[in-house]
Amino acid sequence: MALVDVERIGGFGGFGSPGSHLRSRGIVETSDLSHDDQQALEALFDNSPGGGDLPDAFKYRLTRQTAQGPQTVEIAEHHVPEAVRATVKDELV
Amino acid sequence: MFEIQREGFIDMRYCCHIVPKDVLDRFAEDTRLSDELREGMSRTSRVSDGVRTLRVQAGIFTTAVQASGAQFVQLAAAPTVTVYDCKQTQTPPGTLLVPPYGDPTAKRAFAETTKVANFYQALFGRNSIDNAGMTMMSSIHFGVKFNNALWNGAQMIYGDGDGQIFIDFTNGNDVIGHELTHGVTQNTLQLAYKGDAGGLNESLSDCFGSMFRQWEAGQDANSADWLIGSTIMGPMAIGRGFTCLRDMANPAATHCLNPQPINYSQLTPSTDPHYASGPPNLAFCVACKTKGGNSWEKIGQVWYATMTGTDATPNMTMPDFANRTRQVARKNFPADPTVFAAVDKGWKQVGL
Repeated sequence: MALVDVERIGGFGGFGSPGSHLRSRGIVETSDLSHDDQQALEALFDNSPGGGDLPDAFKYRLTRQTAQGPQTVEIAEHHVPEAVRATVKDELV
Repeated sequence: MFEIQREGFIDMRYCCHIVPKDVLDRFAEDTRLSDELREGMSRTSRVSDGVRTLRVQAGIFTTAVQASGAQFVQLAAAPTVTVYDCKQTQTPPGTLLVPPYGDPTAKRAFAETTKVANFYQALFGRNSIDNAGMTMMSSIHFGVKFNNALWNGAQMIYGDGDGQIFIDFTNGNDVIGHELTHGVTQNTLQLAYKGDAGGLNESLSDCFGSMFRQWEAGQDANSADWLIGSTIMGPMAIGRGFTCLRDMANPAATHCLNPQPINYSQLTPSTDPHYASGPPNLAFCVACKTKGGNSWEKIGQVWYATMTGTDATPNMTMPDFANRTRQVARKNFPADPTVFAAVDKGWKQVGL
């Protein structure tokens, strides 16, 4: 694993909705993560627990490049390692 | 994974959605992981079974009660309102705060949550979120510069905002009304958080959040601004010309941080709930302004009766909800045909 695009979506404000001016994005280099976090991140791609259904909760859209092309999963916030969550920055677009 | 409070108490209510059990069990036995992480995985696996069971059973129980026509035993004549401080951690509920509250955020969370309870009791005859007097819990100062507020299935959670895009989310009484209404929906229609149902779930929270705000301000439907989140805008958002998150009277307006569609035909099954709530929000607003007077007196009563007068319908469609409100308008206000006319106009405005 190398670079993973991280986008935080949803929430009360509807981050990342079509036409929304709210974006929250980041990039994580997996080699910068602890071994435990690398394993946890790998598990999210291999066996996605899904985005959950808590009202107004954030979800994370994670994208990595594979030999078969980009792989994207959407994961409920509390599944995502803190070090990955910390890479995003909220912005107005 | 789940988060453990620093005191060591596992907040099961926050552990509603977890990594699949077989993955947890595999990691729990992986000797390459630290002992602490493996123990955490093992504990999560044991807890997750119980939490998942509880959550499923709660839904089944609510459905069964609705089917039998029984009422929940009243836990209390009026709900207790509690406020906890997460102290910038993400481990709810946090530390219980005891009144008198010195923290302005705590004061607001307590005062407005109490008023929402009064709003539901006085206008709709509802005793708290579950109509049985359940305690209304709020956790404040969640996370660091957290630009969000949410209902986690058991309580409200409020972030402080980053001070740029958003300010403290407890500054929005519509936000507080919105989040608490998610709890009401969970205890009534149990709308799923995807597709049409997700958009309805979000819309009901905006409708009742806005009604609460209007009620507290003494505004009628034609005096209200129908904006959602107008009082949590930070200086960066305001400086860029944004006045709100959403505008129920004009969902596609450019002054919204989150503009929305205005017609049902614009929605798709995968539409985010906060985007999909545009058409039903507009329908409700048009109905209220057409009828005139206070939004909660007639049209709000129709919406509440529709929300509570039907068994749990997790996958309710918007056309179905619209038709039910028409039926309720005719049935509950037989002597006032203008109620039906207003409801009908609202839905036709959005293509339903």
